Amino acid sequence: MTNLSRRDFLKLVRDGFLVLSGALALGGVLRFLDFQPNPAQKTQFDLGSATNYPIGSRTALSEIPALLIHAESGFSALSLVCTHLGCNLGEDESGFACPCHSSHFDAEGKVTHGPAAKPLSPLRIEISEDNRVILHTS
Amino acid sequence: MRRLLPLFSFLFFLTLLLVWWVDSRQPKPVELIPTLTGQPEYCITCHADLPEISASHPVETFGCVSCHGGERLALDADLAHSTMRGGANPSDLSVAEISCGGSNCHSGSEADDRDHIQRVMTSVQATYAGAIASIRYTFGAQTDLAAHFGIAAVSDDESQTGIKSLDAFNPAIDSNPMLQKFGENCLVCHLHAKPQEGEAFARQTGCAACHSTGEHTMSTAIPYTQCNACHNRGNYDLRTMTFVERTDQPTSRLADYYQPISQFTKCEYTLDCVDCHTRDETMGDGDIHANQASIQYVQCKTCHGTLTELPLTKTLTDPNDIVFRMAFLNPIMDLKLGDTIIVTEQGEPLWNARQLPDGTFEMVGKATKQYFTFRPVMGTACEQNPDQQESNYCHECHAVEK
Repeated sequence: MTNLSRRDFLKLVRDGFLVLSGALALGGVLRFLDFQPNPAQKTQFDLGSATNYPIGSRTALSEIPALLIHAESGFSALSLVCTHLGCNLGEDESGFACPCHSSHFDAEGKVTHGPAAKPLSPLRIEISEDNRVILHTS
Repeated sequence: MRRLLPLFSFLFFLTLLLVWWVDSRQPKPVELIPTLTGQPEYCITCHADLPEISASHPVETFGCVSCHGGERLALDADLAHSTMRGGANPSDLSVAEISCGGSNCHSGSEADDRDHIQRVMTSVQATYAGAIASIRYTFGAQTDLAAHFGIAAVSDDESQTGIKSLDAFNPAIDSNPMLQKFGENCLVCHLHAKPQEGEAFARQTGCAACHSTGEHTMSTAIPYTQCNACHNRGNYDLRTMTFVERTDQPTSRLADYYQPISQFTKCEYTLDCVDCHTRDETMGDGDIHANQASIQYVQCKTCHGTLTELPLTKTLTDPNDIVFRMAFLNPIMDLKLGDTIIVTEQGEPLWNARQLPDGTFEMVGKATKQYFTFRPVMGTACEQNPDQQESNYCHECHAVEK
C-alpha cells in the first residue's frame, strides 16, 4: 500500500467534496429541468364516436360535468355546474338539482327554483372529421 | 490559502447538502382548483384531513381561500397563514363581510332573505346594547335606559325601532370604576367582541359562535350546548363586576340547561333553543334593538295557543318559501307544498312544527332529530287566563321538579 502524503490526502479530500458537490448541483439542475407544472385545466373532451349517442339521447357526463344532448337538430351540450356558486348538479326526475343550495333547473337548463338566477350555460360541441364528438368547456 | 481549499470544498458540499435536505422536506403540493374561483390553491397539501365544512360549502366548489384568505400557493405554513382573515375564525364580525359576504352568499338583500351579516351586525347578540345601557344607567352614566352604545358602532337609517345608530362603547369615557371594570370583564362574550385569547375562544365570535358545531363544521342544526357556551357559562357578579364561571357539573340535560336557578317545563329542556327561538330572535331582524326583550318574543303560546286562540299557522303554497331552504339545509322533515306549519306573531316560520290532520302538531328537533307531538291548549282543562301568557304562568303548573 502506497503511503499517501498529507498534501495528496488533502487534495483527494478537496476533489472528493467538489465531485460530490458537482453531483448534487447537477441533480438540482436536472430536477429543475424535469419540473412538470400542473397541467392546465382541460377544456376539451373527446367523447368518442358520435354513433355512441343516438338521436334522442341525453347523456350526463359527470366527470366534466356536462349533459350531452343529441336531438334531431344535432348535438348540443349544457354545463352541469350550478350558475349560483358552482356546485356540481345532480340529475333528478324533472331536471337537475344543486346539492349545495337547492337550486333547480329543468331538463332544458332553465331555472325552476333559486337561488340560481341564470340558466345552465350551453357548451360548444364540435364533430370531428372522423365523426367524433368533441366538447369544449370554454 | 490553498491549504484551506479542502475545508472550503467541504463547507460548499455541506451547504448544498443542507439546501437539498431542506428542499426535500417541502411537501409535494396538492393542487385544488375550486369551481368558484378557478384559482389553484395548495391548502389541502396539509389540510386534506379536515372534514367538509358543510354540505353547502363543498371544498371542490369553494376551496379554502374564498372563506379563509391566506397565501394560496405557499407551502410554508407561516407564509400560507400570514394573510388569513380572522385567524381561526374567518366569520369573526370584523372580517365576516369579506369571508362570508357577497350578494350570492350571506350579504344579499333583505328581500331574498340573504342579508345574514347585516342582520347579525345590528343584532343585540352583537351590540350588547341593552346590557351596556342598563349598566351605565345603574352606575349613573346615563339618565335613562335608552340604548346609545354597542360593542361596535352600527347604523341603519331604515331601522324601524327608532334607533338609527349606536356608538361604539368606550368605557374610558365613563369615570365610574365599575363601568371600567364592566368594560374590561364583561364585553368579551358577544358576537362583535374581540375574541379572548386562546384556542377555546377562537370561534366564539361572529357566525361561528353559533354555527360552528364541531371541528371545521358549520351547521344550522345547533344543539343547546352550543348556545350554552355563552349563555350558561356562568353569571355576572355585579358587586365586583366580574364574570363567575359555573362550578357545578350537571349530569342531566335538565340541570345543564340554561340558568340553573330557572324553572323549566319538559319541552323547554328537552328541545333545543333553536327549536323554538327563531332566526330573527337570534340573528336579529335587521333593525337596531335596544335590548333582548325588544327582539325575543316567542312564548309557550306560539306553539300551544291559548284557551281562546289556536296557534298561528300557515299553509305552504310557494315553492320558493324560505322554509324549504331551511329544511333543505337541515333535512329533518320532508316539508311539502300544502303542509301547514306554525308561524309566530311576526310571521316567522317554525318550520319544524307541522300540523297533523287531527289538528294536533308534530315537531322534530333540529339538532336531536327527536320526534314529538303536541296539542293546542284550546279545548283542554287548562284554566290559564289568555292574557297572562308569560312563561312563569305556565311554569306554575307545568314546571318539572329539579
